[in-house]
Amino acid sequence: MSRRRFDLRKTAELTLLIGPSLGLFVLFVFVPLITAGYYSLFNWNGFGPLTKFVGLTNYLKILGDPLFQKGISNSLFIATLSVLIQLPLSIALALLLNGKMRGRSVLRLLVFTPYVLSEAITAVVWLILLQPDGGLDALLRAMGLGSLIQLWLGDPNMVMWTLFGVCTWKYIGFGIILFLAGLQGSPEEIREAAMTDGANRWQVTWYITLPLLAPTIRIWIFLSVIGSLQLFDLVWIMTRAGPAGASTTMATYLIDRGFTRYALGYGSAVAIVLFILCFAFALVYQRYALRRDNEGAVTRGAEA
Amino acid sequence: MALTLRKLLPALALIGAAAVMTGQAFADPVTLQMWTNATNDPLKGIFQGAADAYHAAHPDVTIQITPIQNESIGQKIQLALASDSPPDIFFNQGAALLATQMESGKVADITEFTKSWIGDVGAAAGNWAYDGKQYGIPYTMHVVGFWYRKDLFEQAGISAPPTTMKELDDDIGKLKAKSIVPIAVGGKDRWPDAFYYDIFALRLCGEESMKAELKAGKLQDKCFTDAGQVQLDFLKSEPFQPGFNGTSAQQGPGSSAGMVANGKAAMELMGTWNMGVMQSLNDDKSFVDKIGWFPFPAVEGGKGDPTAALGGGDGFSCTTNAHAEICADFLHFLSSKDVQTQMVKANSITIPVVAAAADAIELPVLKQVVDFNSKAAYVQTYFDLALPFGVGQALDDAAANMFAGQGGASAVVDAVNSAG
Amino acid sequence: MSTLAPPRRIPGPLFDPIVPVRYLAAILIVGVTLLPILLVVLGGFRTNGQLNTDPVGLPNPWVMDNYIKVITGDLFWRFLFNSVVIAVGTTIPTVLLGAMAGYGLSRYSFRGREAIYSLFTIGLLFPLGVAVLPVYLQLRQLHLLESPLGVIVPQVAFALPITVIVLRPFMAAIPRELQEAAEIDGASRLGFFWRILLPLSRPALITVGVLAFVTSWNGYLLPLLVFNDQNNFTLPLGVAAFQTQYARDTAAVLAFTTLSIIPALVFFMFLERRIVGGLTGSVKG
Repeated sequence: MSRRRFDLRKTAELTLLIGPSLGLFVLFVFVPLITAGYYSLFNWNGFGPLTKFVGLTNYLKILGDPLFQKGISNSLFIATLSVLIQLPLSIALALLLNGKMRGRSVLRLLVFTPYVLSEAITAVVWLILLQPDGGLDALLRAMGLGSLIQLWLGDPNMVMWTLFGVCTWKYIGFGIILFLAGLQGSPEEIREAAMTDGANRWQVTWYITLPLLAPTIRIWIFLSVIGSLQLFDLVWIMTRAGPAGASTTMATYLIDRGFTRYALGYGSAVAIVLFILCFAFALVYQRYALRRDNEGAVTRGAEA
Repeated sequence: MALTLRKLLPALALIGAAAVMTGQAFADPVTLQMWTNATNDPLKGIFQGAADAYHAAHPDVTIQITPIQNESIGQKIQLALASDSPPDIFFNQGAALLATQMESGKVADITEFTKSWIGDVGAAAGNWAYDGKQYGIPYTMHVVGFWYRKDLFEQAGISAPPTTMKELDDDIGKLKAKSIVPIAVGGKDRWPDAFYYDIFALRLCGEESMKAELKAGKLQDKCFTDAGQVQLDFLKSEPFQPGFNGTSAQQGPGSSAGMVANGKAAMELMGTWNMGVMQSLNDDKSFVDKIGWFPFPAVEGGKGDPTAALGGGDGFSCTTNAHAEICADFLHFLSSKDVQTQMVKANSITIPVVAAAADAIELPVLKQVVDFNSKAAYVQTYFDLALPFGVGQALDDAAANMFAGQGGASAVVDAVNSAG
Repeated sequence: MSTLAPPRRIPGPLFDPIVPVRYLAAILIVGVTLLPILLVVLGGFRTNGQLNTDPVGLPNPWVMDNYIKVITGDLFWRFLFNSVVIAVGTTIPTVLLGAMAGYGLSRYSFRGREAIYSLFTIGLLFPLGVAVLPVYLQLRQLHLLESPLGVIVPQVAFALPITVIVLRPFMAAIPRELQEAAEIDGASRLGFFWRILLPLSRPALITVGVLAFVTSWNGYLLPLLVFNDQNNFTLPLGVAAFQTQYARDTAAVLAFTTLSIIPALVFFMFLERRIVGGLTGSVKG
């Protein structure tokens, strides 16, 4: 085969193989982003042509809006608490459950169940259970813990904690399984050698097991933060970002301002701002935390 | 196969010709999609009954009703109008909301189809007109007032409903002394909070400037800030149920309407649809006789007419799909005396648009409301519908924030003026 | 230093105090995890009256009406059907296109390969939840609203990054010799892809397939914006709509919710090893 024919054929094959994916991806992920950038410069209620050019006014309004700031702080609240509470909890539980025990595979199945449910269905379930004098309140009373009862969804100061609680319920199983796998993948011999040398359980955990889990931890953090930033279904169904905007997240702010108020230019600007935030986080994180893992990829993989 | 078809063709042609000759119209059957906010009986059943009755009279027309919860329907309609396939008939509260929807180009001008009978509907239809043309038809009008439980008032030793704010404050105190929740409010949905602000402004502002400023979307008269202050003072007296910021207005027995229906709260400031809503939230209907109504009390120093009321209406609009004429005809059917009487009898609506149907009202409390409506100096449309749409939402948000303890007396004014 | 004796396992103490703690933790976790679901399942067997008087009691008597009403009604089945259509419609193109792209990006070398791969990686950090408003406007322009394609196509587009990222290293790891041997036997590069590489990649394909399926199945926001006609709703959307419409009929809502959970649970039970294995495998590399 002549060289040129070979190249032509290779190009054709590559176009066939990668073309559709690339095309679809660009058309539905990047093009909307660019058009959103354009729409964000207008005041537009979604109908008819774009006539009211406002430049960067939308962006200024967004950054100055206390509700948007609340949305950011709430999203960060969830993200931070995930790392501070869910992460250690998942690891601790994974460590605890790592030892030999009966029914381990059944346990794995049961613990993973909430993760399989859709967020929307989870929200409906908990919305019903968290009603005043509903399931949770009745349970607490039955256990003699009636004094702990709060207005789970009605108290502006309580509502984000409640939502975090539901998030934890949903995602802790995922974390446990992830770390269990990470633990089982790390060599047992190192731990045993350490124990032979006289290290106790805590020292082994702290100095050996955890560092070995580090790649898994880094990935968990990445997934968890990106997930927190786009938390929507749970909040929208349970509280509609209430009471009085107390549980606004960045995503609910986007939908509420963009759609419910017929302000699609403004909403596009919000989308751009959120994208920049996600992108910035991911870039920074990839650079500093995932640097050790594969170039340009989130997961470790064999060299191409 | 083709052979068989070719053989059949002449036969089919004959049948077709015969049909035409016998004058029987094979009209194309059409199905119209209709969105209402009546998710509960009896109103839900009444709409379905009307659709069935219309279908019986016009067999080629089927009306398929989708009830959508009141808190979701606004956004869904907005999304639908922006898409290619909005429903043929949709729930519409008129006023500035209609003005915004018009920009989609999908709301049908039904002036031609309604000319002959629009007079029956009366002045109410004006809220669904724009630029002299008709874009919707109401089926009920609202006024907002206090629904209260006569039995709980009796328990607290209140002999007559309050007529001034001072009396209302006293009554709140008396109810609290008996550990009765004085007022239930559906703070979660925000618009019930806005009712309070709207009415305080209504009481304090002069009619002319208020209407003008609402139309312009910029609140500059001092009375609007005063209204905010009065609202703050009222909130300080803590008249509401615990957790009121998270309570919905109409969803489930835990809602503010449900609380009054079940005797867990003594009053609720709500519109005329409330009797219908309350009935769906309590299986034991004996409570109905215990419900009374009084208009919002007078506010000291107010320039507004003390008999003015806050209100609006519910109606339907047609979209520019091919069936606008059929839609208009169905809306005519809905505003007919029969259907209006049905709605009135079921207590689903209180103020019909066809005055004659008001005769069918049985409950004394509802008669009282209709009476008040006819004697009211004027009915001011809810601010969130009188203002341009996004601005109205900002007002609701600001009012809800005040209820949640955020924002000072000028919070609402600031929100409205900066939202334009 | 060498020892003559083989290394011994450390014998644990006769009674390792961590063991009962372990079982206790297990019971606690399972309890907290399953109790809410159990309450929902059982709630469907009660009447609203029972639920109002005692929110967490056992059904007494057991009432089948709620479940029967939902099962014999057509809402539930319609939502289920829509979800299946959309999920399958998402999964198949995702796996196919992802495999093709993964192959091209792993076993061909060409200029711009890493750039294209990085493009996909960037997509990973631009989640659908943030992109949904611009995507909605795009769908509107393309007249894809109210159609299953309006949900399927964006879902495929947004599932491609993770799919490609999982498949590329997997395919890259398939030994060169296999491909050379196939070429000697006269197979083209595409033939090798179709006849040898794909079957060999089955575990990874199943993993990304399951991932795409589950993500689609659980999707709420995109269908919420695309579908106005209730007949087109998917299951999560339908459950939420059912809850707002029938808020006062809590027992019916609980029954409806329970039935909506069953497909996910059944699916999960059959493919648990794949889902869990795949997720963790992509982490371990």
